[in-house]
Amino acid sequence: MTPRALRKLLDAILIPLLAVLSGLVLMGVLVVVTGKPLWESYQILFTSAFGCKNAATSCSLFTTLERATPLIFTGLSAVVAFRSGMFSIGQEGQYLMGAVMAAYLGYAIHLPYVIHPIVIILASMAAGAVYSWIPGILKVKLGVNELLATIMLNAIATTFTEYMVQYPMRADRGTTAHSPIIDATAFLPSFFQGSRWGVGFIIAVLAVIVVIVYLWRTKSGYEQRMAGQSLKFAFYGGIPSDQAAIRAMVISGALAGLAGAVEVLGVQHRIMTGFSTGLGFDGLTAAILGQTHPIGVFIVAILFAGLRLGAQIGLQIQVHIPQEVGGTIIGFIILFVAARKFYENSIASVRKLLTRNKDIKAKGEGG
Amino acid sequence: MVPILEMKGISRYFSSTDVLANDRVDFSVEKGVVHALVGENGAGKTTLMNILYGLIKPDSGEIFIEGKKVRIGHPNDAIKVGIGMVHQHFELVPSFTVAENIKLGIEPTRAGFLNTRAENEDVAQLAQKFGLKIDPQVRVRDLPVGMQQRVEILKVLQRQAKIVILDEPTAVLTPQEVGELSTVVRGLTKLGLTVIFITHKLIEVLDVCDRVSVMRAGRMVGTKAVAETDIPDLAKMMVGREVLLRVKKEPAKMGGVVFESKDASVADISGLAAISHVSFDVHAGEILGIAGVSGNGQTELVEALAGMKPLDGGKFFFKDKDITATNVRARRDLGIAHIPEDRMTVGLNLQTTLDENLIVSRYNQPEYSRMGFLIEKTIRNFVETVIKSFSISAARPGEGISKLSGGNLQKIVLGRELAGSPSLILANQPTRGLDVGSIEFVHKTLVEARDRGCAIVLVSVELEEIMSLADRILIFYRGMIQGELITSQTNEHEVGILMAGGTMEEVRKQKAAAESEVNR
Repeated sequence: MTPRALRKLLDAILIPLLAVLSGLVLMGVLVVVTGKPLWESYQILFTSAFGCKNAATSCSLFTTLERATPLIFTGLSAVVAFRSGMFSIGQEGQYLMGAVMAAYLGYAIHLPYVIHPIVIILASMAAGAVYSWIPGILKVKLGVNELLATIMLNAIATTFTEYMVQYPMRADRGTTAHSPIIDATAFLPSFFQGSRWGVGFIIAVLAVIVVIVYLWRTKSGYEQRMAGQSLKFAFYGGIPSDQAAIRAMVISGALAGLAGAVEVLGVQHRIMTGFSTGLGFDGLTAAILGQTHPIGVFIVAILFAGLRLGAQIGLQIQVHIPQEVGGTIIGFIILFVAARKFYENSIASVRKLLTRNKDIKAKGEGG
Repeated sequence: MVPILEMKGISRYFSSTDVLANDRVDFSVEKGVVHALVGENGAGKTTLMNILYGLIKPDSGEIFIEGKKVRIGHPNDAIKVGIGMVHQHFELVPSFTVAENIKLGIEPTRAGFLNTRAENEDVAQLAQKFGLKIDPQVRVRDLPVGMQQRVEILKVLQRQAKIVILDEPTAVLTPQEVGELSTVVRGLTKLGLTVIFITHKLIEVLDVCDRVSVMRAGRMVGTKAVAETDIPDLAKMMVGREVLLRVKKEPAKMGGVVFESKDASVADISGLAAISHVSFDVHAGEILGIAGVSGNGQTELVEALAGMKPLDGGKFFFKDKDITATNVRARRDLGIAHIPEDRMTVGLNLQTTLDENLIVSRYNQPEYSRMGFLIEKTIRNFVETVIKSFSISAARPGEGISKLSGGNLQKIVLGRELAGSPSLILANQPTRGLDVGSIEFVHKTLVEARDRGCAIVLVSVELEEIMSLADRILIFYRGMIQGELITSQTNEHEVGILMAGGTMEEVRKQKAAAESEVNR
């Protein structure tokens, strides 16, 4: 790697890295305030998030990766929208639409292995895409703010999912409503017995690569990014920016719908009441913290999933710190990213100090 | 006599860009004069003035006001010692009145309530004292730019400034407003104030200023009395070499009609006609100049020609084909290039790389993309060719362009638009805000394109530029063509009559009168 490229990379990851460290330090403060052992808490948080004692039986890293999978998709979904200048936060709704579609087709149609999940995945992507196309077309044709439209559509999707689970798709009359288990032919297989980390993760890795290639190596991606960065420039250059915006929304929706399919086919195998757990929003924040870059999203999604898992099975069970601490750390991190000006200023003054010393040294040698 | 301001040995290094913006600069200003500070973009004049106004701290150097050493670490210190600065971009509250803006933060009160009458009277008095006519009760948003600038100057004056720094004050003004500004500036020096006038338009230096200091590449090149210098001399000091101020060109070898506008009309946002019933044609191998005071429909005309604004009436023909209904891309594909008025937000995308800026009008062509994928190799080759043929030495393939100078940015626009030999070039204010050296380059490039047989529509509010480049001139006034003149058979005076709304009849009368004068 050339020094220039290396510097660019460092510039890109420095602030997220500092934000994560600051978030973890603040967690330490919380731990001390509640009178729990500090060092041990950190250790437990990390081993129960990223540790792996035995691949087959107790490997929390695998669980983290399993939980990161839908986040990667929703994060990518946000990246595609943001990079194209569409501030869509509709990932949650599109994710739910994809999940409902997957859960329904999982038991309603019967197909052989391999074909069944492929058909479902395509249908879920289409469901997400259509659900995202709505705010896209509203924006382009009528100038409706996509942020507001996607918020509304999220609320509708949540209620719709709940209705589907409670009534048309409800499997039994037990206390918690859920849909029937999907056919085994539709399952996305996992890598190890007893873990649900599986093929979905491979699809996620592929999606990261596809999104990178699409955004930076294709004509359509170029059009979307130019329209996203400067509408005036795109218009002047003859780029069809309306088409680019709608395409961005459709792709973004398809990725979020894919998240729903993978979660249903690979992990839950059905949908139940309260299926929506804010995965869409975590994906959104992963996109922002990950510098709206697919690789950044991939790393941050794993980090977020790890922090939540570590807090849940590590801190809560072993040191009796409420698992909400995981969410709190993520909250802190987001807050610190929002305060990036603070870091930029401190980095600038540190740099200045360093170069000044160099200047003095250089002058000293010269004289 | 002790100079009112003396800056000695000012140095400032910017580590972020590795630029020594000021290198042991000495600068001294006499009391009661208009002192011009000129230099190309990036010569360090703004840095020097920001140091004087306390916005930037120098690494070394001393500042003396009337012989007394002062420390200026903050604009408040500068104001205390009597230095005021009018920035290029105004800092006014548009919805407040003139008086409210000037008295912001120091409003006169009575029993805790704002005393609007006293406020207006104070400002009226202040304006009268300095001879700046203005109505204190008008809202700033209703004022033309020249008047807004006047409000900024009054803001500085009411803080008892002795030295007024004007940063590129004419950049945003119309020619008439420039005239008014120079009267105002003259009036201030009569009252004993000192004005530092930052500019890169040399003609203004001669018109308005008494002394001039020239900076180049962070150093002070020299200070002269304006009476003892002229434009070529100053240009040479600024650029460091002889500069062709008026591009050399042969008479146009006109070809057939490339473009024709028939009765074209465009309405502006408010529904009024921005251009109405405009008919003209452009031939291959000629530069058609569109002259006129800014805001008389030129921008709308260019946008309509480029396909960015639909016509509300009339038709456009390109090589005898009706292109009225075609969009931007179709017109670009036909060979219509467009150098826009605003290169920073329209002509370029400063957030992305050089490569992606250069391919915006051709990424769709088969050489640059196959099956939806961009072809890196042809793109890189193209970028390297443009860098070489337009000597954009500061730009590197694959890297950002946001830190390049205005001259280099315009070279990128030119390089993109002129590559692929277009048949028609729309150039809207192609040298706005550029320094002497870059203007020379742009002019030369346009004339070369003309000589290759390209038809060029050149819009400019700089009469000087129209006179030196255009072969034929259309004068726009209130969205209509007020008259048409052949450059070789006219002069600035005649064009000026039409720009101000005069008629061709008046021009002819003037001409006849001038000729009878000569005959007698």
